[in-house]
Amino acid sequence: MTGQIAIIGAGPSGCFLAQALLKAQPDLRVDLIDRLPVPYGLVRYGVAADHQGTKGVTRQFARLFERQGARFFGNVSIGSDVGLEDLRGAYDAVVLAAGLSADRRLEIPGSDLPGVHGAGKLTRALYEHPEAEALPELGARPLIVGNGNVAIDLLRLLAKSPEELEGSDLGQGPTDWLAASGIEEITITGRSPAAAAKFDTVMIKELGKLADVSIRVMDAGESDDPDAQKKLAALDALEGGAGARRITFRFGLTPVAVEGTDRATAVRFATAQGEETLACTSVLTAIGFDTPGDLPRDALLREERDGGLAEGLYATGWFRRGPRGTIPDNRADAGALAERILGALSPDPGKVGAGILAGLDEITDYDGWCRIDSAETANPPPGRCRAKITTREGMLGLARQEDTQ
Amino acid sequence: MNIQVLYGTETGNAEMLAEDIVAELEADHAVAAVNLADFDPSEFDTGTLYLMVCSTYGDGELPASAQPFAEKMAAGKPDLTGVHFGIFGMGDREYDETFNGGPATLAALMTAAGATQLGERIAHDASGAEMAEDLAFPWAEDIVAMAGDALGQAA
Repeated sequence: MTGQIAIIGAGPSGCFLAQALLKAQPDLRVDLIDRLPVPYGLVRYGVAADHQGTKGVTRQFARLFERQGARFFGNVSIGSDVGLEDLRGAYDAVVLAAGLSADRRLEIPGSDLPGVHGAGKLTRALYEHPEAEALPELGARPLIVGNGNVAIDLLRLLAKSPEELEGSDLGQGPTDWLAASGIEEITITGRSPAAAAKFDTVMIKELGKLADVSIRVMDAGESDDPDAQKKLAALDALEGGAGARRITFRFGLTPVAVEGTDRATAVRFATAQGEETLACTSVLTAIGFDTPGDLPRDALLREERDGGLAEGLYATGWFRRGPRGTIPDNRADAGALAERILGALSPDPGKVGAGILAGLDEITDYDGWCRIDSAETANPPPGRCRAKITTREGMLGLARQEDTQ
Repeated sequence: MNIQVLYGTETGNAEMLAEDIVAELEADHAVAAVNLADFDPSEFDTGTLYLMVCSTYGDGELPASAQPFAEKMAAGKPDLTGVHFGIFGMGDREYDETFNGGPATLAALMTAAGATQLGERIAHDASGAEMAEDLAFPWAEDIVAMAGDALGQAA
């Protein structure tokens, strides 16, 4: 063994970093620690249920544990179960790859009214995260604030008919919730003109396949920029349809206030022409992500340079860069950071490594995850590829079964 | 037979498949996986079989690691007459319109430069039920068999 590295967070950026580290130095000890009993973070709970191809990246991550010698320590919270400083004392290097799981708040009057929901909170509920809140009532006319890829994912899911969710891993509860949602119209708004909108063109093109919608694109404008022209052309191609659910794209709308007395009933926007108020039955905010506050991110990142925070302490992925960039962008980061970590590594054989976690109850390991994964994929309901175990207790129960076999 | 598995990847899935193909063929052949980002078109050799594995990224575009290769092909305009390749595409039919756009672009680059494509371009669908390697291993064996004749040496 030529050094011990702990990575906090077993999501895609942590896994890609582990992969790069072990590729460069196969005899390294790399431990991935996650607060959930299961690995893969955003791939499991953030990538849309109907984007199973994107989730295929977990086949690479499985190899980390099965062939490259990485270890998984699930159900371990940094702070309450083990302190960050204790972990730094136990390992030669510690990498924060915890992502950003909290919704960035819409800081305008009325944004705390009932009926205003963050996209992250809602998708966690849709994808059956064990700590998710119950799925809320959205009413007939939800309005989405923000039009990045997260917003488009949400729009697509809400607009799909039950048949269009074939092959996904959307659970029974969320499936029933969607079928009973009674959504008639979804308005999606962005601050910038369409040419500068945050979504990827391919996400817009995918909406063209929706079976039961009619789509209107208002004031998309024009552009001289070739990339922007692709976006505009993709939007233009969406126009029309005779489906039951109406989708309206709006641009150049800056939210000023959420209106309503006991719940959100409209959003007031500033526009180039003045102000405009759009009525709605709920407001879904998809304007970025923030730290949930379990780690003092701002303080940790104050001295950050190229992923290095302090001696033997690093950060990667969204935790370092903020909520921008796709899963493969994090892979690109991982190679450079791995080189940097290995260059600075001075292994101390006296360090206890995972021994620091020895006193903790109910840690799950990779074999435990495999038992959970098998249980989830063994007998999925018709039209589904997986039925997620939705509670921490359920996961821990399955993970624990090794003792009884 | 000398074989190079050239891969263009963005998420790493094509790289993993390239490594799997190497593992599958290395008992019988001198075979190595090479990232297209690290490959210069001037290295193409008529005595080597090139198995290309390529994904698609963004709006039907070449993945990041294939882009420098495409630029070098455009700049160097190499004559690849006598060079033989097969191509395996990894895509996701959720994005129907641009499905396998990357490998289609790559195959066109090769044939436009005079290279000969062996076999059909295979397209794996990440949203489908089949594992990439279950399609790719028989494909690789087929291409190797075809190349045995084309390259004029024992497979």
